[in-house]
Amino acid sequence: MTVRVRFFARFRELLGTDIMVNAREGIVLSELVKEVASRNQDGYQAIFDDQGVFREFVILMQNGKRIETSAAGTTLVKDGDEIAVFPPVAGG
Amino acid sequence: MLSEREHERYKRQIMLFGDAGQACLKKAHIFIAGAGGLGSPVSIYLAVAGVGNLTVVDKDVVDQSNLNRQILHYDRDIGRKKVASAEEKLQAYNPDINIRVIDTTLDETNADRLIGNADGIVDAMDNYPTRYLLNSIAQKKKIPLFHGAIRGFYGQATTIIPEKTACLRCLFPSAPPQEVFPVVGATPGVIGTIQTTEVLKYLLGTGDLLTNRLLIWDGMALHMDEISFERNPSCISCGTGCGASTSRMVASKNKIREKKK
Repeated sequence: MTVRVRFFARFRELLGTDIMVNAREGIVLSELVKEVASRNQDGYQAIFDDQGVFREFVILMQNGKRIETSAAGTTLVKDGDEIAVFPPVAGG
Repeated sequence: MLSEREHERYKRQIMLFGDAGQACLKKAHIFIAGAGGLGSPVSIYLAVAGVGNLTVVDKDVVDQSNLNRQILHYDRDIGRKKVASAEEKLQAYNPDINIRVIDTTLDETNADRLIGNADGIVDAMDNYPTRYLLNSIAQKKKIPLFHGAIRGFYGQATTIIPEKTACLRCLFPSAPPQEVFPVVGATPGVIGTIQTTEVLKYLLGTGDLLTNRLLIWDGMALHMDEISFERNPSCISCGTGCGASTSRMVASKNKIREKKK
């Protein structure tokens, strides 16, 4: 199945954006993001901590709906999904 | 009532929203938290639009490294209080409005009182703890909050209407780590003018507000994206406070306690 992954802001700089992924059936959201983020070590580390857990501030969206990162390990990805991953920016 | 001089000054926008709209702006009071990168374009454009009462709060002194983006302040203002510089410039832009400046750091002890009964709060801060404070007060007092934030060539904005829309905590339950952020002045220019547009539309009761939507600006790719979001029923600011982020917070507090033991 094909899934579109979009990174924003700093994550985009490190990982690119609008990435079309051929994902396996039954993959959960956290695994999908991990696999895509693994292409760049700095990108991976910006999103995940040393234990492979999402950093607390990371925002995940599945088809425009917010998914708590704590629920990403049980959230199934479906064909045609659009996944957005971004960090809030803080400056003013 | 608008004076003849005000009629002339606002002629080109009175074409858009009439005398009644301009009079609405004149009697409005907007609280601007911060006189830096975002606070500069926000306060300048609200001033020239004729928003009649502006309060600007900042504790900092103008530093040379601010000048690439904080367009309220000039080279000659280095070492001067930002609010003194802001007051002078804004009053020079528009002598027909009231500018109130406050030289302080917003915190739990003063923010509620200083915001008073403003018609809107503009988030032009550079940190999430103060943003969360503004968000709580906005929720408590039912005052709209116009959020903006930037980093490098990236920015984000959303408009929060208490009791009607999701709040800042629904969207960002946890703050990103603090840092000295890189930035080019055009980025707060983009985001600050979006916040200003939102304030004006809100005061005029016109257009579609940026509510329950996060606008994401990417100046590098020259893309503007939008992400919809919903109210979180268990949000610790506008909901029941029973959400995952609350449990995470409690867990981390417990960790700290354990360490202290």
